[in-house]
Amino acid sequence: MGGDKSDVLQGTLDLMVLKTLESMGPLHGYGIARRIEQVSGNVLSLNQGTIYPALLRLEQRGWVNSEWGASETHRRAKFYSLSPIGRKQIEEETENWARVAATMARFLAPSN
Amino acid sequence: MDQLRILFSRCAAFFRGQRLDKELDEEVRTHIDFAVEENLKRGMAAQEARTEALKEFGGVTQTKEAYRMQRGFPLVETLLGDVRYALRRLRKSPGFAATVLLTLVLRAGAVTAVFSVVDGVLLKPFAFRNPGQVVVWRESIREIEHETPLLPDNYRHYLNLKARAHSIQDAAILQTARFSVSGGVDHPQLADGLAVSPNFFSLLGVTPFLGRAFTPQEAQSGRDKEVILTWGAWQRLFHGSPTALGATLRVGGEPQTVVGVLPKWFRFPVMSVMPGEATSGSTERYEIFKPLVPMPDELTANDAEFNYVVVARLQPGVSIRQAQSELDGIEKATAAADGLAIHLGVVVEPFAQEITGEIGRPLWLLFAAVLGVLLMACVNLANLQIARGVAREHETALRSALGAGRARLLQGVLVENLMLGAAGGLGAIGFAFLAEKLLALSAASLPRLNEVHLSVPMLCFALGLSLATSLGFGMAPALRSLRAMPQSALQSSSTRLSGTRQAARSRRLLVAVEVACSVTLLIVTALVTRSFAHLLTQDRHFSAQQVVLANADLSASKYTNGGAIPDDPGADRASLARDATIDRALDGLRALPGVQAAAVTSVMPLTGDMSVDGIVRPDHPVPQGEVPMANRRFTSPGYFSTMGIPLLAGRDFGQGDRENPRVVILSDATAKAAFPGENPLGRTIRHWGRIYTVVGIAADARINDLKRDAPVFYLPYWDYPPSSPVFLVRSSQSIQSLGQEMRRILWGVDPEISIPTVVSMDTQVAESVATERFQAVLLSGFGAAALLIAVLGIYGVLAYSVSLRTQEFGIRMALGSNRVALARLVLLDASSPMLGGMALGLVGAAAAARWIRSLLYETSAADPWAIGLSLAVLLLAALLASLVPVRNAASINPMRALRTE
Repeated sequence: MGGDKSDVLQGTLDLMVLKTLESMGPLHGYGIARRIEQVSGNVLSLNQGTIYPALLRLEQRGWVNSEWGASETHRRAKFYSLSPIGRKQIEEETENWARVAATMARFLAPSN
Repeated sequence: MDQLRILFSRCAAFFRGQRLDKELDEEVRTHIDFAVEENLKRGMAAQEARTEALKEFGGVTQTKEAYRMQRGFPLVETLLGDVRYALRRLRKSPGFAATVLLTLVLRAGAVTAVFSVVDGVLLKPFAFRNPGQVVVWRESIREIEHETPLLPDNYRHYLNLKARAHSIQDAAILQTARFSVSGGVDHPQLADGLAVSPNFFSLLGVTPFLGRAFTPQEAQSGRDKEVILTWGAWQRLFHGSPTALGATLRVGGEPQTVVGVLPKWFRFPVMSVMPGEATSGSTERYEIFKPLVPMPDELTANDAEFNYVVVARLQPGVSIRQAQSELDGIEKATAAADGLAIHLGVVVEPFAQEITGEIGRPLWLLFAAVLGVLLMACVNLANLQIARGVAREHETALRSALGAGRARLLQGVLVENLMLGAAGGLGAIGFAFLAEKLLALSAASLPRLNEVHLSVPMLCFALGLSLATSLGFGMAPALRSLRAMPQSALQSSSTRLSGTRQAARSRRLLVAVEVACSVTLLIVTALVTRSFAHLLTQDRHFSAQQVVLANADLSASKYTNGGAIPDDPGADRASLARDATIDRALDGLRALPGVQAAAVTSVMPLTGDMSVDGIVRPDHPVPQGEVPMANRRFTSPGYFSTMGIPLLAGRDFGQGDRENPRVVILSDATAKAAFPGENPLGRTIRHWGRIYTVVGIAADARINDLKRDAPVFYLPYWDYPPSSPVFLVRSSQSIQSLGQEMRRILWGVDPEISIPTVVSMDTQVAESVATERFQAVLLSGFGAAALLIAVLGIYGVLAYSVSLRTQEFGIRMALGSNRVALARLVLLDASSPMLGGMALGLVGAAAAARWIRSLLYETSAADPWAIGLSLAVLLLAALLASLVPVRNAASINPMRALRTE
């Protein structure tokens, strides 16, 4: 595991999860993973398992809450929802990400 | 804030690990089920749907691992895992664990206890300001140097040296004293103390906690009505009340005012005015200080009256040698200027040496012994750990082949050794406490023993020592086994890896060192024990079973003349008072039921030489320095029969001698020295300017010291009745009740008598050899420990080498070798390091014996019994230790041995 790369990736994944929960409301792990794959147009190949450590991390920070409940197919599953702190955090994280993306864009733009 | 919350959540998770694991399992299962469901909907076959779902998910185990890393404290969890693993492993080899633990506990505990004694008695600075500057000086007279190298100090010389020497800041003069102290109500009690010059306290850097020190005016005759108390005496006599200041105490029958109380930390070790005399006892013994007032003739006497000890403080930067040469120079110059016939000199010694000089050597011997045990224990640990490291080479290789990192493997070993070390350290602390208690009990005669405490740093030292050795000897083999390539280690069996010549040689070397150490220690122990046994069992030349001693102190003013020396000793009012009291006491004691004999003497038996004087013959003058010296003892008729000392010629004192008290009885050696080749009966000697006629010759007896006969001249007690008479009573009564009766009789004669000691003669004898007993007991303990460690070591190494050679033995047996031959093979293997070690040990013992020769009493350092017995014991122990491994070797089943390979 290369440290730096996965860090960036983790940050990205965290924001994706938060955004997903913001737009979809409470969702179980599988749902979140599927939703991210769909939105990325299956471009992003994601080991679905990695979603769980990410969810735990967010929960430890208090950005998401979790609760056991029943799915539409009446399966017992753990549902994750955005907490008030997490909702506020999305703005900050989004700004952060935009700043990084813009910087990257400037680097990648053809020099003139 | 975030960090805190994460920490909290991790903590929570740490303690709910199992439940959370279950939840995660369920969550993952649900996830897969969702995926399978969706895949089925998309039209996949059941098997394919499941495979696809798992593929999408990624590694389930890796996910769980990553999740757990995020959840709790992974480091702590693996650590706990290691602890559990180590515990399991130690439980599986209880022999190893127990041996290591026992070794660690014994060793660290013993070292700590002995070191704390060495520290308290020898190393700890005295509780003065800059104790390193404090010295003691003594005087010498060249003419009598071969008899008495050092003398106490003369008051006039002290004043002269103090005034003229530049190498010292100040000098105080003092004398030990015993005071009978009473608050005025009950029987007076005896208290030890010092008579000191007024500058004594400022010289030591001590300011009284209450009140003041003495003023120079108080050191004048008739104005010395003040006392200063130590903290302890203040608590004992006044219960720490501040009203003690200005209160009156009856000291020696005279009212005295308390003017000061010394601070709690102040301690002054027990000193002896006689140079070179062993001192012992608590540093809290001196309780009362009085101003020292010199007698008029002490101010003028120039070649006599050596009665004091001088304690001085050197100028900063001045060495003892410089002070010595300056003081010695001044003394010699003054003596020459005064035209003295004798050649005076001064010897300066560090204060600490003055106090502990006698006991230093035995204590260091003990410390050396304990270090020897330490060394052996280290060797054992190293051996054990090497064997263990090799035994787990296979396991280590397996684990590393399965992907365990170096760090992870090392961590496991580290945890195991830390656990052993910590447990050993805690055990050592407990053991040190126990050992210290035992030491204190068996070493009551050590000076400053009350200052020996197991301090916190000392206990940390015990713990640290245990941890450090456990880690040191555990990690080295572990590191070595890590270097082994997993592949080769797994392919070959562990026996081949470690059965190398080099490993075998180093194991033999370790055994040899161990045997050498224990041989040395055993021989030294045997020598000291034998010397002690000699001391106890030899003929003392007196026999005093069923005898009880009671020391009475006649220091009330009616007995003392106010301290002045009478013109005609023995005939003055105070002497007559003492005589009458002793007389009545003897009558009372003789009338007790069951009493067979009763007598009095002037000095407590077995307390060393005291009141030594020259035997001068008026008819046969000899040059100064060749006058035979003897102990003066005042005794009553019946003393010799009570003490069981036979009279060789002449007669005992009798009541008839009261008419003509100038008679003397000489001990055999004294008679021979004073009257060589002549019959001394009827001849005369001069003492105190009077002529005494020899009426009897008593056999030599060891009444002062068990180690040698004392030269004595006995005078009848009424000639100069002793102020501290010792009554001896032989009776068929029990010692306990006899002691009670004796107190009752003495107090019946005079309630103002204080009785500091009532003790049976047997106890007095036992106490006089307390230091020797202490050495013998402790060394025996160390010797036993060393033997035990050596046995464990030999056993460990042999058992290990037999287990390594199982295969070889199997082959040998298959090829027709018989069991006896195998047993011989093992014994041969063990014998070379054993014999080498014994030879080495003999050399060590020879070196040690040279050093301890002065401690031995009538025992040659090359005592064949001690050496032979030690070697025999060790051989026997070694044989016992090799019994089990040899049996194992001989009972190897060749089929099984070859198959396990």
